[in-house]
Amino acid sequence: MISIKNVSKIYSNGARALSNINLEISKSEFVFLVGPSGAGKSTLIKLMYREEEATRGQVFIDTINLSRLNPKQVPLLRRRTGVIFQDFKLLPTKTVFENVAFAQQVIGKSKQEIKVNTLNILELVGLSRKKDSFPSELSGGEQQRVCVARALVNKPQILLADEPTGNLDIDNAWGIMELLDKINREGTTVVMATHAMHIVEKMAKRVVKVEEGRITDHKLGEAY
Amino acid sequence: MLNQVSFVIVQALVSLKRNIWLTIASILTVMTALILLGGSVFFLANTSNLATSFESQIEIAVFINDNQNREQVIDLRNQIQVMAGVDTVELTAKEDAIIEFQESMGSSSLLEDLGGINPFPDKITVKATDARLVEGIANQIAEINGVDKVRYGQGILEKLIQFTDWLRWIGIAVVAAFAFASFLLITLNIKTNVNSRENEIQIMRLVGASNGLIKWPFFIEGLLLGFIGGIISIGIVGIGYNWLLQYIITTLAFLPVVADQMFMISVFALMLIGGMIMGVLASVFAVRKFLK
Ligand SMILES: Nc1ncnc2c1ncn2[C@@H]1O[C@H](COP(=O)(O)OP(=O)(O)O)[C@@H](O)[C@H]1O
Ligand SMILES: [Mg+2]
Repeated sequence: MISIKNVSKIYSNGARALSNINLEISKSEFVFLVGPSGAGKSTLIKLMYREEEATRGQVFIDTINLSRLNPKQVPLLRRRTGVIFQDFKLLPTKTVFENVAFAQQVIGKSKQEIKVNTLNILELVGLSRKKDSFPSELSGGEQQRVCVARALVNKPQILLADEPTGNLDIDNAWGIMELLDKINREGTTVVMATHAMHIVEKMAKRVVKVEEGRITDHKLGEAY
Repeated sequence: MLNQVSFVIVQALVSLKRNIWLTIASILTVMTALILLGGSVFFLANTSNLATSFESQIEIAVFINDNQNREQVIDLRNQIQVMAGVDTVELTAKEDAIIEFQESMGSSSLLEDLGGINPFPDKITVKATDARLVEGIANQIAEINGVDKVRYGQGILEKLIQFTDWLRWIGIAVVAAFAFASFLLITLNIKTNVNSRENEIQIMRLVGASNGLIKWPFFIEGLLLGFIGGIISIGIVGIGYNWLLQYIITTLAFLPVVADQMFMISVFALMLIGGMIMGVLASVFAVRKFLK
């Protein structure tokens, strides 16, 4: 599903973020990226949705070589990968429903389709009752659920999560983890960067440890 | 496709409405910018009109030698008529000149009083197409056989041309400065607008919106802001200019003014189209920064 081959990333200011990374992630896997701050986790995730390009090496999603993608094709890739962040990134002037609908409007879905999909996905993340609330009226956990709904509403095969629990208290964090686990069990590949080790240990999934831009440790989850 | 078109339009309208204060501020900015621009164009038109009207009062008086007969005088006139830079030529025969003078004096017996001798020479009045050509033409005419004297306000002419040049340059400088100022105002304003929505652009990119779809709402907003600001500023400049014209015509009647309808309509069109083009261009440049 995701294949990273001999990838190095040097930012234009000269900062070396990743050195010779090799990583294979199969369909329906759940993978944690762990490591200290500044290790290169976010950079690795950005390469997967082509927010950044590898300086050397190749990143594949299925058979698509991301460094061969022309700018016009990038939006098409984005529709196959959902992304969520620590800081949510919701539109404050739109309601929960509108925020989720937005992701479908921009790719040209019909009104009817959007309505059905949005209500279904809000049901899945447990926010049906809050569909007309604005983000500022929600708790952090609820806001992150909206983001998950927005990331998943176009049915991507991959969900990328960069510190999704970073701004949440323990209860809300577990709520999000249960949601991600449920989504993963329904077939979506999940890659999550985090340094919340208590979560990583309890989930017992595959763990990739990144330090100073290199993979330094690799544990398989209980399923293997 | 149709879904996306309606999304783009709704998106533009909704964001104009949701950010109503920013929208109002933008419209006021565009309006101010276009009032400066339109006002300065009217200023330029009038200064340049004033300059032309001053210059058009310059004429060359050519006095003919007494020994020339009528045929020769007419020949002279034709000769001057075809010279380069000559606009109009008017012959005043000596018989007409004295009658004119008589009438202006209120006397009917002047010629008899003078013992039947007409002191007026034949005169040809020449106007040039451009005040700058007057001196050259006058010198050329002075060389012609049969010409006695040439008068054109020697000495004053140069000062007048200096003054009218200066008037025109001021007009052009004012238009250039205000056009630049209005471009700056509109660009800065729309840039702020777009920057304040970086978040939105980022999210659109994230969920797979094509660059075109991201740009279009901003284009439409820029166009609408330019249009609305343009209409309001046309109203204000139109009413203001007409009021000023009335005032000048009634109190400073000697001052020539530009009141040509076609010209006014073209200035208003310039304001409207200029506003919309600046609105769209500013949007394009502002959004481009966020699209990789
Ligand atoms: N846009 C950027 N420009 C320059 N350097 C960057 C950029 N993003 C990250 N870096 C650098 O790359 C390294 C890895 O950063 P990051 O991938 O954000 O690590 P992590 O997510 O593990 O904290 C850091 O040294 C960081 O300073
Ligand atoms: Mg990070």
